[in-house]
Amino acid sequence: MGRFLFELGRYMILMWRVFSKPEKLSIYRKRLFDEMVSLGIDSLGIIFVISVFMGAVITIQTAANIDSVFIPAYTIGFTTRQSTILEFSPTIIALILAGKVGSNIASEIGLMRVTEQIDALEIMGVNSSAYLILPKIVAAVLINPFLVVISMFVSIGGGYAIAMLTDIVPTADFVYGIQLDFKPFHVAYALFKSAIFAFLITSIPAYQGYYAKGSALEVGRASTRGVVQSSILILVANYVVTQLFLI
Amino acid sequence: MIEVRNLSKSFGEKTVLKDISARFEAGRTNLIIGASGSGKSTLARCLVGLLRPEVGEVLYNDRDFFAMTVSEMKEMRKEFGFLFQQSALFDYMTVEENVRFPLDLLTKMTKKEKDQRVSECLERVELPGATKLYPSELSGGMKKRVGIARAISSNPRYLFCDEPNSGLDPQTSIVIDNLIMDITKEYNITTLVITHDMNSVIEIGEHILFIHKGDKWWDGTKEDILTTKNQEVLDFVYASEFMKQLRK
Repeated sequence: MGRFLFELGRYMILMWRVFSKPEKLSIYRKRLFDEMVSLGIDSLGIIFVISVFMGAVITIQTAANIDSVFIPAYTIGFTTRQSTILEFSPTIIALILAGKVGSNIASEIGLMRVTEQIDALEIMGVNSSAYLILPKIVAAVLINPFLVVISMFVSIGGGYAIAMLTDIVPTADFVYGIQLDFKPFHVAYALFKSAIFAFLITSIPAYQGYYAKGSALEVGRASTRGVVQSSILILVANYVVTQLFLI
Repeated sequence: MIEVRNLSKSFGEKTVLKDISARFEAGRTNLIIGASGSGKSTLARCLVGLLRPEVGEVLYNDRDFFAMTVSEMKEMRKEFGFLFQQSALFDYMTVEENVRFPLDLLTKMTKKEKDQRVSECLERVELPGATKLYPSELSGGMKKRVGIARAISSNPRYLFCDEPNSGLDPQTSIVIDNLIMDITKEYNITTLVITHDMNSVIEIGEHILFIHKGDKWWDGTKEDILTTKNQEVLDFVYASEFMKQLRK
């Protein structure tokens, strides 16, 4: 318990420093765009691949499980859309990014710590935590909702492709299902969730990397801790946000 | 000028620096020497505020560093240049961007002025053609030179060099040592070199502070150190067979 409180307190202090007034906005602006490319654009490939298969599998599994004459075929399209928008796109993509982006952030900052690059920033009078971490958090919070929207379209497209390529559901029924009873609030809820997940994906691995000590081995451990902790907190935050907004 | 008064630093139960007092004048190369683990790097880190001593004062031209507010301390640090043991160049920046970084952050210079200053600094360390290279493409000696160029780019009044020769061959070490000494004279800055390299001591040691087990054990010039009667200093200076032969 003491260890947990120590870590929590240190994390809060770090976040306080991260969100303090930046030294020079022009430097941060350049870093923000670099991070948007690194965290967002560079993740498009993996998001596309995961989303297309995710949508295809949701469609097949829904079709396999509601094989009944009393349930209309458009339910498959409806379920694919709802599952994708409410849960799969924001949460699965967040968990995948926690692995890809989180380990990258923790090892990048951790390596900067053990090679004295962070000390070099501090000696120059730079708030190293804000300089290194703030652009990553802001970039992820801004770009992650866009990635989730792309994932939603690609995932539903994957489901549609399955409908076209197989005879598990007529495409007209599938298209009717994905248009049925659409609530824009659900998209807003998913995007809000994805922004919170983006904060966790960046801030926790950054914290672990920032306080890494010693050797490359320690940097690896910090990276693992960052990914595990951010993944768990994504699931906890997912539950809390769902309870607050959907019930 | 840097003055240290009664500085002590501990990590838990272990006292690393005990009541250190010293004076480092401007315009000459001041060396802090001692065996590994003697506390010399800890002293350097206390001087620049990366560590906070429990007791003692550090004065920069009579201004007490640890009595300053956070913002004053930040301003003060703009007068520091620091060459790290592993150079600590930013991996994701080119040589030019590394040297330009303090200027972007700490000054209001125009782009043209910054370009000019970066060129001057890289020429000063004899690396004018390396601007577009990344640190991973540089040799150890080149990294040190870029580190020096970055450290001097914002015209510091105080230059700290932590083990500037570690991992370098003897010839490159001498080049780096002489570069540090020349820059010290040229800009009339207060330079502090943390080292355990005896070649550096002989080459550039205008004022030497010997630290032994966290205590200030001895101080003097490079001429004094070769003739001292202090046993711990003698053990350090004449540790190698080559130096023993030389003494005979």
